[in-house]
Amino acid sequence: MSWTQCGCQIVPAIVLAGAAMFGLSSSAAAHPHVWATVRSEIVFGPDHKITGIRHAWTFDEFYSAMAVQGLDADGDGKYSNEELGPLAKVNVESLEEFGYFTFVRKAGSEKFLPLKPPEDYSIDYDGTAVTLHFTLPLQMPADPNADAVTVDVYDPSFFVAFGLAEKEPVKVSGTPSPGCTAKVETPDQESAEAAKALTESFFSQLGPGSDYGSQFAQTVKISCASQ
Amino acid sequence: MTRPLFFLMAFVAAILISVSAMAQTSPPSAFGAPSQRQAGPPAFTAPDAATPRAAPLQAKGPLGSLLSWVAQTQQKLQRQLADAVKRLKTGNPLAAGLFLAGLSFAYGIVHAAGPGHGKAIISSYVLANEETVRRGILISFLAAGLQGLTAVALVSILVVALNATGFQVTAWVNQLESASYALIALVGLYLLVTEIVRLWRRRSQGEGAHAHHHDHDHDHDHDDHDHGECEACNHMVDARDIAGPLSWRKIAAVVFSVGIRPCSGAVLVLIFALAQGLFWAGVAATFAMAFGTAITVAALATMALGSRELALRLGGGNARWADAVWTICAIGGALVVFTLGLLLFAASLGPSRPF
Repeated sequence: MSWTQCGCQIVPAIVLAGAAMFGLSSSAAAHPHVWATVRSEIVFGPDHKITGIRHAWTFDEFYSAMAVQGLDADGDGKYSNEELGPLAKVNVESLEEFGYFTFVRKAGSEKFLPLKPPEDYSIDYDGTAVTLHFTLPLQMPADPNADAVTVDVYDPSFFVAFGLAEKEPVKVSGTPSPGCTAKVETPDQESAEAAKALTESFFSQLGPGSDYGSQFAQTVKISCASQ
Repeated sequence: MTRPLFFLMAFVAAILISVSAMAQTSPPSAFGAPSQRQAGPPAFTAPDAATPRAAPLQAKGPLGSLLSWVAQTQQKLQRQLADAVKRLKTGNPLAAGLFLAGLSFAYGIVHAAGPGHGKAIISSYVLANEETVRRGILISFLAAGLQGLTAVALVSILVVALNATGFQVTAWVNQLESASYALIALVGLYLLVTEIVRLWRRRSQGEGAHAHHHDHDHDHDHDDHDHGECEACNHMVDARDIAGPLSWRKIAAVVFSVGIRPCSGAVLVLIFALAQGLFWAGVAATFAMAFGTAITVAALATMALGSRELALRLGGGNARWADAVWTICAIGGALVVFTLGLLLFAASLGPSRPF
């Protein structure tokens, strides 16, 4: 039968068409549903090492309305700490599965520094937006006097679009050595790195389970003047 | 066939242009070039001084400026949607209402770019079946309408009637999502199995039943795919018949499997509107969104059918060519529906998201 001979040539075409369609749809799927504005405090211990990161993530109005829905238990129109406490707890607990969306590295290293479960967490709601506060301790304090440390906050799946705040996105607190600063790296400084990542990121846009969100990551660099 | 396609394309293009104008972002200047952010005109509502705002998202990589533009446009649309709902309380209700409807419609068009909205699934389904453009558009509209209806029903029951928490709503949305993807995979599997069974039957008939080849007993009963004689009789109508009969049950299955998943964007808008004391505005916005989604999906389904038509014409009147095109579409389309459903189902079972 001639149509079966035809069928043999058809198979690769089917596979290609299917792959192309899936690639297109999965990259298009990567559109954010939640928007979060990030402000981070780099916490230094008495030995001038970074002990952790204190985050304040402010969510968009839609997500915020969803998050506080049904939590005004006493119906007074206000959301107290008692009412929002359980929400904060569930949020920070489920963050673990996602690596807290926080990626800490020594500059130039590929390895992420391990983090401990969040501490001192709370949620406040100003009537418009929900802000989640929590501290992420590093398992081993990192010394920016030796090597600069970088922090990226992003959701690889881009379900949540994290963006650094326009004003005061990062600051240092505690007892840093004099001259230690936390700054947002501008894309220019990263252009070399971005060029290196060209091919990888191009394909990551197409594949499922991709690292799509990392393309939107803004890096915070903690360095000290002594370097 | 080409006229509805043209109108849909022109319509979507016009909407996208007006959306980008509304969102006040400059489109990327060049492919891969770093985007030059312009100091845009001030937003029509002053940002809340107390609430910190994120700097516009900037993507790296070769498609960076394009991706940045898409993400920024989505964010601006969403913020404007929130402002539009709030202005219903303070501004001219008619003007604000029309603005909200237009914005929601645009949001629906842009937001439809996700597989959950059935874009790829409906396109593949109509491709795999003998569906006309008109029926492709009908399926798109029914599925989007049902998605909107599911969202409204879910929020009405859970939030308005039961004052459920955001967590409970999210849990329901996730369950319906998993159920929808599982059903989509089943629809794909059904299409795939029926197609393979038919091809296999045709093949065994072709090899074993030469006696029937020339009796030309065409009763055109579509449930009985007796097309072993196709090559001999060599006419297009028979080639078309192989793709499958009109079946309202099949259409209902695909509409239902896609439609029981409430659009998460619509659920957010509904709850936000409810918090503002304007639930009706959320309902109106949901259906305006569903309409926008339907148009995008219908345009894509129409394009898929257009490509199939083009492929058929390339072969001239050659029945063998037409046969091959139909087979590719039927198996390929069914395969995509099945695989997408399965992958999305597996992904939906992942750990629950914190936000």
